[in-house]
Amino acid sequence: MGLIAKNLARTYRTGLWKEKCIFRGVTFELKSGKTFGLMGPSGEGKSTLGRIVAGLEKPTEGTVCFNGKPLSGMKKAEYAAFRRSVQMMFQDPTEAFNPRKRIEQSIFEVLNLLKTPETEHALRTKKMLETVGLSEELLFRYPSQLSGGQLQRLALGRILLLEPEYIVLDEPTSALDVSVQAQVLHLLKRVQAEQKIGYLLISHDEAVVHFMADSYGIIKNGQLNITDA
Amino acid sequence: MMQKEAYLQESTRRWKDSIAHYLNFDIWKYERTLKKLNREGLFLFAFFLVLALFPSLFAPYSPTERFISYESPSIAHLLGTNDIGNDILSELVYGTRISMMVGFASACISTLIGLMIGLCSGYFRGTLDELLMGFTDVVLTIPKIPLIIILGAFLHPSIWTLILVLGLLSWESIARVVRSKTLQIREAGYVKSARCMGFSSFHIMRSEIFPNLTHVLLPKFMLATASAMISEASLSFLGLGDISMKSWGIMLSFAFSRGGFIRDMGWWYIPPGVCITLCVMSIALIGFGFEERDKERGNRGVDAE
Repeated sequence: MGLIAKNLARTYRTGLWKEKCIFRGVTFELKSGKTFGLMGPSGEGKSTLGRIVAGLEKPTEGTVCFNGKPLSGMKKAEYAAFRRSVQMMFQDPTEAFNPRKRIEQSIFEVLNLLKTPETEHALRTKKMLETVGLSEELLFRYPSQLSGGQLQRLALGRILLLEPEYIVLDEPTSALDVSVQAQVLHLLKRVQAEQKIGYLLISHDEAVVHFMADSYGIIKNGQLNITDA
Repeated sequence: MMQKEAYLQESTRRWKDSIAHYLNFDIWKYERTLKKLNREGLFLFAFFLVLALFPSLFAPYSPTERFISYESPSIAHLLGTNDIGNDILSELVYGTRISMMVGFASACISTLIGLMIGLCSGYFRGTLDELLMGFTDVVLTIPKIPLIIILGAFLHPSIWTLILVLGLLSWESIARVVRSKTLQIREAGYVKSARCMGFSSFHIMRSEIFPNLTHVLLPKFMLATASAMISEASLSFLGLGDISMKSWGIMLSFAFSRGGFIRDMGWWYIPPGVCITLCVMSIALIGFGFEERDKERGNRGVDAE
């Protein structure tokens, strides 16, 4: 069980007859409570791979299996369960929330999506803020009035509301400075220990991957080489 | 005296600060941007809007009341009377509502259609995008005025068909702008994470993308209004307007066909022309103001907002 990527390949069409292959034959498995690090030079398709695993894009070849079932050909209910269980966190915290909405609104929308009764909204939001270590006062601000670290923590908190099993972390700390990086990474570790979430950590920073990952792979020339840490 | 003035200024400042504080609404920011919008445009537009909303306050007579025809301007009739003895000033004031209504109604239709098509093709991409944009290109190549003339000749000339035809034929540029902006926004983190969390496409388009489109839509809406008003005036001048609803274009048309130009009655044909020009100009100025503001914001980046 778990989230398994089988033989993934992705090619882009560069001309009428020409195609460029970014990666091919990529196979790995995400286990709950463990972190798989993904490294590689820029332009090797790390983020694309992350989006494919999160189900936002389709691979050219291969399949992503969730709990033993391939993503393509899932029934609606199964896909909804997958959609809830696999989340993605993005690199740029300033873009993580809609600039036209207060943080509160962005979070309540997720709670509405989960069909949480409105009387419990405040309570669940408070709990979530406690988990990520932020004060309630932030709820009434707009994203542009918050710092990158705060936004990234809020983004993580919002994802945690969905109680996911796996999170794809697409360079979650590369837009933050060093001290904030450490805070966010520790928070991620703590949350993982508490809720047994499996991470796919995409990063070009070796130190970050070594700190977080139980095993890691390096994408180079379109191939993935896996090493146990 | 000085003290009192200073106190008054201070109290308004406090009042605005407290509003800003309690409603989390940055009044000072809005005041600054309001200044940057073209002031003249806003004043002119407000003037025409008041004329359109309360014509009875400004018109000395009812537009259908009849006096001696072809009178020169006098104290009783500031702009004289026309061929059937209606007071021209009253006609002009009552015409504001019709001209502006045609402009705004057709701009509403075209903005709505443009928004739908642009959002759908920008968000879903792929085949739907190709189809919708192909359709847009086809509509874009249709020459508007000749088509409207033909339609006007076949359909019963009424203000509603005019609004509908003008609205249905001027959405393409809006659709394209909305599409390109949507393509840009859909790659932003908050749209991707909304997709990841499993929000429906409709919810994402309505609540994540649409609020970020308003600042490109507003100037487009204003410019569409201005161009619809000009189209209405030119069509009415050609005699394809609704004679029962006297707009400024119809007034010009009557001045032309019923002896205003031959008798050299400048007070008959110049005022509607000036009104059309000024009203369109004010709306366009406001539109440009919005665009300018948008550009400035683009230059400063999100953080400076």
